[in-house]
Amino acid sequence: MPNNHEFYVGYLPKAPSGIAALAKRSVIGLVLLTMAVALVLVFGQQRFAVSFFEFGKVQEFQGVVREWPIPLLISGSTGMALVAEGKHGASSLVAGLEGHSVKLSGTLIHRDGSEMIEVIEGSVQFLGKADREVSTIEDLGTHSLAGEIVDSKCYLGVMNPGHTKPHRECASLCIRGGIPPMFVVRDKSNRRVNLWLLSEKGEPVNQQVLDFVSEPLEITGQVSRISDQLYFRAAPATYKRLP
Amino acid sequence: MSQAYASVGWNRQKKLYDLVMLASVSVYLALFVGIGAIVHPNATVETLLIRGFGTGALLMLHVILSIGPLCRLAPRLLPLLYNRRHFGVAMFLMALAHGAFSLVQFHALGDLNPLVSVLVSNTRYDSLSNFPFQPLGLIALLILFLMAATSHDFWLANLTAPVWKRLHMLVYVAYGLIVAHVVLGVLQAETNRLLVMILGTGMVVVLGLHLIAGWRERKLDGTADLPISANGFVDVCGVEDIEANCAKVVTLTGERVAVFKYDGKVSALSNVCQHQNGPLGEGRIIDGCVTCPWHGYQYLPDSGASPPPFAEKVPTFNVKVVNGRVLIDPKPNAPGTRIEPAKI
Ligand code: HEM
Ligand code: FES
Repeated sequence: MPNNHEFYVGYLPKAPSGIAALAKRSVIGLVLLTMAVALVLVFGQQRFAVSFFEFGKVQEFQGVVREWPIPLLISGSTGMALVAEGKHGASSLVAGLEGHSVKLSGTLIHRDGSEMIEVIEGSVQFLGKADREVSTIEDLGTHSLAGEIVDSKCYLGVMNPGHTKPHRECASLCIRGGIPPMFVVRDKSNRRVNLWLLSEKGEPVNQQVLDFVSEPLEITGQVSRISDQLYFRAAPATYKRLP
Repeated sequence: MSQAYASVGWNRQKKLYDLVMLASVSVYLALFVGIGAIVHPNATVETLLIRGFGTGALLMLHVILSIGPLCRLAPRLLPLLYNRRHFGVAMFLMALAHGAFSLVQFHALGDLNPLVSVLVSNTRYDSLSNFPFQPLGLIALLILFLMAATSHDFWLANLTAPVWKRLHMLVYVAYGLIVAHVVLGVLQAETNRLLVMILGTGMVVVLGLHLIAGWRERKLDGTADLPISANGFVDVCGVEDIEANCAKVVTLTGERVAVFKYDGKVSALSNVCQHQNGPLGEGRIIDGCVTCPWHGYQYLPDSGASPPPFAEKVPTFNVKVVNGRVLIDPKPNAPGTRIEPAKI
């Protein structure tokens, strides 16, 4: 029979030779296409941030607790934010320990020199009352800043990528669960600067910012510094969405 | 003959089909995750897996959607269609892995039920660029699940072919939702134009093939609207216009009829296979039976009934051969009605 009279019946053990050859060629073509697509997609993705979650490597940390408004462990002149496991904040883990020396176990999260600890529940040990005052507040004035509200835990390293639109739902859920919201802006030399976002009165604003996470915003508010941490106080009602 | 017909279970071609498909899927995942981990050492494994499964599933969906019109245009590619259902189920499993990993990664261990979180954590239903893209993926996944769950012939028989077919047309809704899921999701953050181009190319191929195949078919239907003569019969073609053991497809009062010539006889039956509406007129007479080009279901040409023990039946048409012309009565007979073939 001429070639174009070949007829394929799948349940017969052998396909006609011409059709079998064509099928083989099509499959090879498809596999090559598949490989090409995989490579284009691998190389087409943006570079990933240099951020770390040292998952599985539990360490012991020692320092003085700042409980409010963002739970921190101050050790020397550096502050490390504290969060709990999953999408939860650490407020309840350090409740009542303001200004006290503690020892705790946790996993380090870090990005661009900002450090955070995922505290293991039940590991916080009271060591004693700290002998010096840990916080002096430095007022840095009023600023209008453009940036994005992120959930600090994912952004600093638990997820990568851990910000922008695809991460919005997760960020909202984390902030709802008590992870401190952070406002990420760029300074004049295009370096990222992270500020803890607070209400006008300097209180946590988690539940008020859920509608505003992971999109371009302009926020006008009061910037201040306590040890190496920057804080940004503004009323959520005044946040401006940028196009 | 019915021996062969009976074996539409596992067979060599299906095993080969699945083997090649699964090998290709593995190669894709290995490349995406393996090379991805080297090129992007800072990416988390979860991200690589989520992206590998998601993009793999979407690539498979493009191939699956293209096979149909490709085979309409080039029937010699039919081996690609033969076990497409397993291809579909595998694609669903890839999409499920992507969705499940995403649900765990982005929605678990929080204060909301993960499925609730998918729907409410992004509140910007009022915005396009910020529109919640994940619920679109969830709806698509549910559609793909329905299709995978009903893919077996058991459901085809129980839901009846038209309902099943309509259900499975939802794949186009799922495709649209997934494209929106990607465009409103990851493409709002990834800036490389190549990614937009690769998705755009995929859409053009799928849409283009469907348009071309549809246009060809419309043309076929259009030309065949033949006049009905006084005695109710329609002159559809000359006997010599039909190749031996093959059919010519004609459209009579809107319905496609397959006119077969075999053993010096002519019979006419509906062009629509009872299995999955395959085009019987593009089939062959094998072992005395009309054999569907898609999965090989068989029908006796004079009665339109599958040989025992099978029960599929298609409508038949009264046929005459006068002076070398084939005449057909456009009124279909009840499925399975035996009509004396016209002798040439
Ligand atoms: C429960 C349902 C789903 C959820 C929760 C979901 C979630 C997500 C998320 C969060 C992303 C962005 C991930 C990233 O940052 O890279 C994404 C991307 C994507 N999704 Fe889905 N998705 C779902 C269903 C689907 C389905 C059914 C498909 C069908 C193939 C699909 C295909 C994709 C593709 C191709 C991407 C882009 C690649 C990527 O970023 O992973 N998704 N999805
Ligand atoms: S459509 Fe499957 S055999 Fe005809």
